[in-house]
Amino acid sequence: MSTAAVQECVRTRVGPDGSGRGTPAGPLRIVGNGTWLDAGYPVHVGEPLSLAGDDAILEYVASDLTLTARAGATLASISRATRAEGQWLALDPYGSANGTLGATIATGSAGTLAHAFGTPRDNVLGVEAVTGTGAIVRAGGRVVKNVAGFDLTRLFTGAWGTLAVITEATVRLRALPERDETITLALPSSVEMEGWLTKLRALPFTPLALELLNAPLARALGLGDRAQLLGRLGGNEDAVREQMRALGALGEMQPAPMAAWSALAEIEPPGAAVVRVSAPPSRLHALWARLSIASEASLVHAAVGRGIVRGIHPASPHPSLAPWLDVISQTQGTHIFERLPASEWSRVPSRANDPLSRAVRRAFDPQRILNPGILGESA
Amino acid sequence: MLARSSELATYSSDGLPGYRLRPRLAVFPTSKQQLIDVVRLLAREGTPFVARGAGTGLSAGALASGDAVVIGLNRFNHILRIDPLNRLAVVEPGAVNVTLTRAAGAHGLHYAPDPSSQTACTIGGNVAENSGGPHCLKYGVTLNHVLALEIILASGEIVTLGNADGEVDGYDLLGAFIGSEGCFGIALEVTVKLTPNPQGVRTLLADFTSIDAGARATSAIIAAGILPAALEMMDGPTIRAVEASIYAAGYPADADAVLLIELDGLDAGLDADVRLVQQHCLAAGARTVHIAANEVERARLWQGRKKAFGAMGRIAPDLVVQDAVIPRTKLPDVLREIAAIAARWQIQVCNVFHAGDGNLHPNIGYDSRNADEARRVGMAMRDIMQACIAAGGTITGEHGIGLDKLEYMPLIFSPESLAAQCALRDAFDPERRANPGKVVPVHSCREWMGA
Repeated sequence: MSTAAVQECVRTRVGPDGSGRGTPAGPLRIVGNGTWLDAGYPVHVGEPLSLAGDDAILEYVASDLTLTARAGATLASISRATRAEGQWLALDPYGSANGTLGATIATGSAGTLAHAFGTPRDNVLGVEAVTGTGAIVRAGGRVVKNVAGFDLTRLFTGAWGTLAVITEATVRLRALPERDETITLALPSSVEMEGWLTKLRALPFTPLALELLNAPLARALGLGDRAQLLGRLGGNEDAVREQMRALGALGEMQPAPMAAWSALAEIEPPGAAVVRVSAPPSRLHALWARLSIASEASLVHAAVGRGIVRGIHPASPHPSLAPWLDVISQTQGTHIFERLPASEWSRVPSRANDPLSRAVRRAFDPQRILNPGILGESA
Repeated sequence: MLARSSELATYSSDGLPGYRLRPRLAVFPTSKQQLIDVVRLLAREGTPFVARGAGTGLSAGALASGDAVVIGLNRFNHILRIDPLNRLAVVEPGAVNVTLTRAAGAHGLHYAPDPSSQTACTIGGNVAENSGGPHCLKYGVTLNHVLALEIILASGEIVTLGNADGEVDGYDLLGAFIGSEGCFGIALEVTVKLTPNPQGVRTLLADFTSIDAGARATSAIIAAGILPAALEMMDGPTIRAVEASIYAAGYPADADAVLLIELDGLDAGLDADVRLVQQHCLAAGARTVHIAANEVERARLWQGRKKAFGAMGRIAPDLVVQDAVIPRTKLPDVLREIAAIAARWQIQVCNVFHAGDGNLHPNIGYDSRNADEARRVGMAMRDIMQACIAAGGTITGEHGIGLDKLEYMPLIFSPESLAAQCALRDAFDPERRANPGKVVPVHSCREWMGA
C-alpha cells in the first residue's frame, strides 16, 4: 500500500477535525506478511491495514552499504539482493524470513546475530511513516551518521506500530564475512559453568553469535542429545582460525551446519508460549541453571553476551510457565513475553502505561487508531 | 551560583564562534539532590533553563538568553561504579569522557565514543548531542553505548529510561532522549557500555597528491567491506597547519591529503586486512602507506588528528567548523565542490574529517572583526550545506542543530516532520522550558494536529 493510501486510510479514521467523531470506521491493525500475527496479543480491532504488497527495494547503493526499501519488502528478498553484492542486513529475527522489513523494525525484533550487530535500533538509519494523526513523517536519512533533529527513527522502532505506520526504511548493511563458520562446544559441569561463561565472554573477539542450547533444543536441531553451545564465527581466514583455536581450548568442539541457525529461528511450533528473561551477563549461569531444565518439553536457549534466556514452550503438552514466572518475580533482571496464549496476556503488566509513554502515544496517535491494546496499554 | 556579568561571560558561548548570549544566572550543582532541587525550583517558577557540560559544543546548543538559567554540570562529575564483569559504568553527567576511559583502562576496557574534545567534554554532553568520534566508524555513536539513563524532566519528575540489567520493551524513550540536545530533560545518572581494548591495533598513514585520490581510496576501502576502527582524512592545508604547530605528527608536509587508518581486533587476521587497505590506497594513487611501528608513533599520528582543530586555531583569530554527512560514494564529488565554493568566496577551507562515515568537517579560519570576510564565510557555509544536502546527505553528523543549524532544518525536513519532532519534545517538556528555541524552528511547532 502506498504511503498516500496509508495516509488516506488513517485520515478517514481521524476525521476532518481530528477528533475521530463522525467516522464510523474502527481502529487499524497494522499487518506485514502476517508471519507473527499469532503472537496472541489482545488486539481486537476491525480492519487490517496491510503493507505486504508494497515491497520494492527503492535504492541499493552497494558501495555505500545502505539500502532503502518499502516496508513490505521481506527480509528474504533483501537478503537475496544484498548477498549478490557480498553484503547482508545483519538482522535475523526469530520466525520466518518471509517477515517484512517494516514489521521487523516496528517490533524491534532481533535474533542471534544481535550478539555482534545489535537490534533494529542499531541498524536502521531512517524511516518514512504515517502517524496516527495522518501526517507523513520522514525521520533520519540515508547516511550512516546523523543527529539532525529529534530521533523519531528510534521512537518508531519497536513501537509496535502504535505511534506511526512505517511505510519505508533505510538500513545499514555490512560486508559478509570472508569465512562464516558454525561450531558446537560441549558445556562443562554445572558447577564449572559460571567460570566457563566468564572465560567465554572474555575472549578477545566478538563471535557473530553465541547461544547456549538446552538438551531438548539441541535434539530438535539435530545437534545431539546434550546441552551445548552453538557458536558462529566470522572474519578473514586467519582470524577465524584463531577464533576456532581459542574456543577449542574451552571444550570439545565440533563443526555444525550453518542451517542450524535458521532452524533455531524457526523452531517454535504454532501456539507456543515464548518468554525471554534477561539479567546482567555475569548472572547468566544462575538463570540458565534454573530455566534450562525447568521443563522437559521446553526448548531453551541463551545469548551468552547479552544475558538473555529464551524459552519456547510448546502448546501441547502445555508445559508449566510457573518456573519462569517464579524467576521473573525474583530476578532484578527483565522479561519479555514474545507470545502467550490469549488468556495469559491479562496477567502481563503493560509495557507502555507509564506517564511518559502515554504522553508520547497521545502526541502521535491521540485517537488510538493504530494497533490499540497491542502494548497492553489502557485507554 | 554566578550572577555577575563578568562571571557569566564564560558561559555566553561554546566552541563555535559567532554566537554570544548572556544567561541570567549560572548555577553549578555538585550533587544529584542539588540538581533535583534546582530543576524543581525552576519548575515552580516557570523559568527556562539550559543544561551545559564542558561548553565544548559546536552548534551554539548550550547558550541561554533572556530569562534562561544555565545549569552547569561539570562539577557533578563522579564515576559512581565500574562493573568490569558486565562491562558497564555508571557516571554522573559531568564526568569527562577521557576520565571514564582512563578509569576503565585498569580493567582492559574503554568507553568507545571518542569525540576530538574528549579530554574536556562530558558524558552528559555526549548523551545530549549523541556524540561520535573517529572510532565510531566501527564501534558506533553514543546511542549504541548508553544502556540506561536516569533523567529529570523539566517538570521535576524523575524517570528511568532503558535498563542496565537486561532487555527493555515498550517505547525506546532512551533512544529518543539521546541526541535531544538538552530539550527533553537533564540526565542525573548515565549507565554506559564499556568496550574491551582490542588485542591488536595497526595504524596506517597513507599520503596522496590530491584530495580526490584520498577520497577515492576511502570509497574503495568501504566498498570492499573492510571495517576499519577509524578512517580519517586531512587535506593539505590541515596537514601544514598541524605540522607547523606543537602537535606536529610527521605528516608529509607536501601531501595534499593523508588518510589516517586504524584497524583493530584479534592480532591474527589483522595483517591480512592491512595488506588489503594498502592495496586500495596504492591503487587510488597513494605515494606511500606507512604503518606505525610502535605505540609512541601511533600516539603521535593520532595527536596530529585530534589536535588539528587547535593547530588551525593558531593561524586565524576565529575558526568555524562545519559538520555534515554525505553518502561515502559521493566523497570525491562533494570535496571537489567544496574546493570550488572556497574559491568562489575567496576563503580558505581546511578539511579534517571522519571519511569512513562520510562525515565532513570543513573548517574555515577567519577574522570575525572583518565584516566582509565574516559574510563570505557565512555564504560559503551555506553553500557547503546545500551541496551536502543535494548529494543525499544530512546537515549534521555529530555536532547537533543547536541554534546554528535551525535555518537548515526546513531544507531536510517537511513541515509535518518538524511538527512531529515538536510533538515528541512536548511529550517530555510540554512547557518547552528545557533549552528553549533550539533544534526545531519555533514556527514549526504550531501546526501539529495531535497537540
